[in-house]
Amino acid sequence: MAVDVKLPELGEGVTEGELVKWLVKPGDTVKPDQPVAEVMTDKATVEVPTPVAGVVKDLKFKVGEMIAVEKVLLTLDGSSASASTPAPAAHAATAAPATRPAPTAAAPAPRSAPASLHMAATANSPTIYPPVADSKVLATPSTRRLAREMGVDINQVPGSGLAGRVTREDVVTNNGGGTSAGMDTYSAKAPFKMPAPAYNGPTGAAEERVPLIGIRRKIAENLQMAKHIIPHFTLMDEAEVTELVQMRESLKEFAEKSGLKITYLPFVMKALISTIRNFPMFNASIDDNAKEIVYKKYFNLGFAADTPNGLVVPVIKNADQKSILELSHEIIELSKKARDGKLKSEEMRGATITVTNIGSVGGTYATPIINHPEVAILGMYKITDKLFLKPDGTVGSAKQMNFTITADHRLIDGAVAANFLKAFIQKIQKPGHLMMDLR
Amino acid sequence: MAQTFDTVVIGAGPGGYVAAIRSAQLGKKTAIIEREFLGGVCLNVGCIPSKAMISATHFLHKAQHQAAEMGIQIKGDIKVDMPQLLKWKTSVCDKMSGGVKLLLGGNQVTILMGEAEFNNPKELTLTSKTGSDTITAKNFIVATGSRPIEIPGFKFDEKEIMSSTGALALDAIPKKMVVIGGGYIGLEITGYIAKLGTEVIVVEAGPALLNGVVDPECAQVVSRKLTKAGVKVLLNAKAKGQKKVGDGYEVSIDNNGKEEVLKCDKILVTVGRKPNGDQTKLAAAGIQVDERGFVKVDAQRRTNVPHIFAIGDVAGQPMLAHKASYEGVMVAEIISGANRVYDAKTVPAVVFTDPEIASAGMTEAEAKAKGFTDLKVGKFPFAANGKAVSLMETDGFVKMIADAKTNILLGVHIVGPEASNLISEAVVAIEMGARIEDLALSIHPHPTLGETMMEAAEATLGHAIHIIQKPLNRGKEATH
Repeated sequence: MAVDVKLPELGEGVTEGELVKWLVKPGDTVKPDQPVAEVMTDKATVEVPTPVAGVVKDLKFKVGEMIAVEKVLLTLDGSSASASTPAPAAHAATAAPATRPAPTAAAPAPRSAPASLHMAATANSPTIYPPVADSKVLATPSTRRLAREMGVDINQVPGSGLAGRVTREDVVTNNGGGTSAGMDTYSAKAPFKMPAPAYNGPTGAAEERVPLIGIRRKIAENLQMAKHIIPHFTLMDEAEVTELVQMRESLKEFAEKSGLKITYLPFVMKALISTIRNFPMFNASIDDNAKEIVYKKYFNLGFAADTPNGLVVPVIKNADQKSILELSHEIIELSKKARDGKLKSEEMRGATITVTNIGSVGGTYATPIINHPEVAILGMYKITDKLFLKPDGTVGSAKQMNFTITADHRLIDGAVAANFLKAFIQKIQKPGHLMMDLR
Repeated sequence: MAQTFDTVVIGAGPGGYVAAIRSAQLGKKTAIIEREFLGGVCLNVGCIPSKAMISATHFLHKAQHQAAEMGIQIKGDIKVDMPQLLKWKTSVCDKMSGGVKLLLGGNQVTILMGEAEFNNPKELTLTSKTGSDTITAKNFIVATGSRPIEIPGFKFDEKEIMSSTGALALDAIPKKMVVIGGGYIGLEITGYIAKLGTEVIVVEAGPALLNGVVDPECAQVVSRKLTKAGVKVLLNAKAKGQKKVGDGYEVSIDNNGKEEVLKCDKILVTVGRKPNGDQTKLAAAGIQVDERGFVKVDAQRRTNVPHIFAIGDVAGQPMLAHKASYEGVMVAEIISGANRVYDAKTVPAVVFTDPEIASAGMTEAEAKAKGFTDLKVGKFPFAANGKAVSLMETDGFVKMIADAKTNILLGVHIVGPEASNLISEAVVAIEMGARIEDLALSIHPHPTLGETMMEAAEATLGHAIHIIQKPLNRGKEATH
């Protein structure tokens, strides 16, 4: 008797997940609670277990596809084990324990060779698609290998080539099409397709291939699309932030009483919002389909966060309505969630402009990539001590911080960006003046 | 002193040494264990020495039979200096084997000479002349190969009753030799021994030479040429036993039901090879071996013990060096975490008879069995090829088989000069899923033997240029 195994609830507010990996293949015998698939949601990658035993009959999705909660994931041929409990589908869905976060299943990095060796050596090859040599699929050896590495069963890919030949493009499209979940819709009509130029590595070189899937693929797609659509340009300047440093020092104690560590980021956010009010084109989007510019009357600030899984951009909603303390609190909260892989998708959606604080790591200047469909990203860099010549001819010292503004040249002219950066720097240099904007 | 490695390869044949090199390239601390010679059977007592003997006797044959017609006069007798021939053959093998040693060393692979026997799934004992040692590794690759099958009553002494190994080391030209088994190894040796002047009788149990190994039409061409060269071929004949008489042997056979006795001074037994799955104490590691002696493996060549792999002859048919090498690379990459699986549409087969036979893909019978009911078959003879004529090697043809519905190339069978070199084009075409038009429309250089591939493709489409095809096909095909 066939039993459907459905994708269970994966957590509050999660309606779908991306299939990262099958852990079983047709013909495998599974035990109750045995993980059958790895599914990545906006929050985490989880192993989905089967509630009942049986023999895997049909895998209903391909790796890389989005699966809605409650959709049938796979069917089992109920063996003797499940004969006594005619596991109804509803049972299948509810009995599944919600989440078992898989440790960074997204990216087995090249340097983790011992780990992958271990994997290869112990797991009896769960995701190996059968060889196609004996099937009638027409595809070149390199395409067959690509499909296998992408986790695509090439036997299921409709071929667009001559006599039904499955091309490289067929495999790539089949795997990568339309997974821009979490992105706003001001983008071009068709789901963005990554260009796939041939990779010509030196033959025989020591290289390891890891499928580009999960969060890393999402990052790659988003940034590729942003660079593809937006003509970027970056302006750089120095700010003298002695007063800002003093202000933060003076507020430290006050903040600590509230149990908070206060950073420069909330000040920069406040100065940014204050500047944007006079430069509305920085808080906008281009709707490519409608051929319209969308000016936003709300201020949602994204900030780039580095996590073990890769780059994510949590968003502080209505940042203009929040105090510096409230911003600090929210930054700390969201950063922690990002590191733990617990951000909800709505917490990463809807930014109107983004700040990247690469200075906390290092570097003098960078040229960040705009988080499409936004049109600008502000970069802040490390604070250094600088000597300068005072008007009276003596030498003084000051705190200096570098800033960049990267903008979408379709909407923002160079001079406008220069004026914007100048205005921003005036504000950040005189944080006291920000008080004037408080509402 | 116990030694520990990431990966240990057992057997340094064309599967094992290739696996070891790729493994080391991928950064694994790798060792290779070899009990006899680097390069295995292939480089030392198989493919390479037999090619040396074939190349030498081919040269001899041309000098004896074709030079005069070409206007080249050779004064006096053409003599074969057997010790020198052997010395040269050995130098060829040594060069290749030395190359393997150099490659292994250059890739920091530790070479361990000795016999390996598993103690348990993680450890084996290496026994060498100097003593024994314990070797442990995270992964093992069993690449222990195969050995000639011995039949009852014909125990190998490798001097007079020989396997291929002994035949390749003959230091004098036998007067009369009985070859038991008309498969590819028997016929390759028959071919060159006959050219040295030995009277050869081939005793084959089946109804044809190279029975079930190659396209029957290809086998026929070789069979005819052997007979013409004076080799006696007995089909449906079985060797029953032998006895030493004087300084020769009497081999009793059952020739189509009749008892017969064949006199000879040497006996060569080439009835096949059997996998070495019964060695290396595989059972101590828990590795399962099937009833024929092959290690049981999956499509990744993983044994039932997940960290142990098996490749090459010991891991299943076809027992061919190039298949072993493919598996060696693949398994080394799998151990390093790559997603690989044995995924070749065809393993080409080559037989170095005179003329050579080579094939890739399916025969007509195999294609029909696979459900391709409607086939297009085209043939082009070497006699119509300028290069072949100028080589005075016009026996044979290229035959192509395609699916009539799609014109997709299914199989190529070549018998003729340099068939072994020509077949690679067919392998690529089949792996790429080419149609015969793809071959016909690719410009092949003139004047070469390779043109026969293009012409055979044209012939399959019904309109080869350099042969007259029946008007029946005219005007119907050309479109797709």
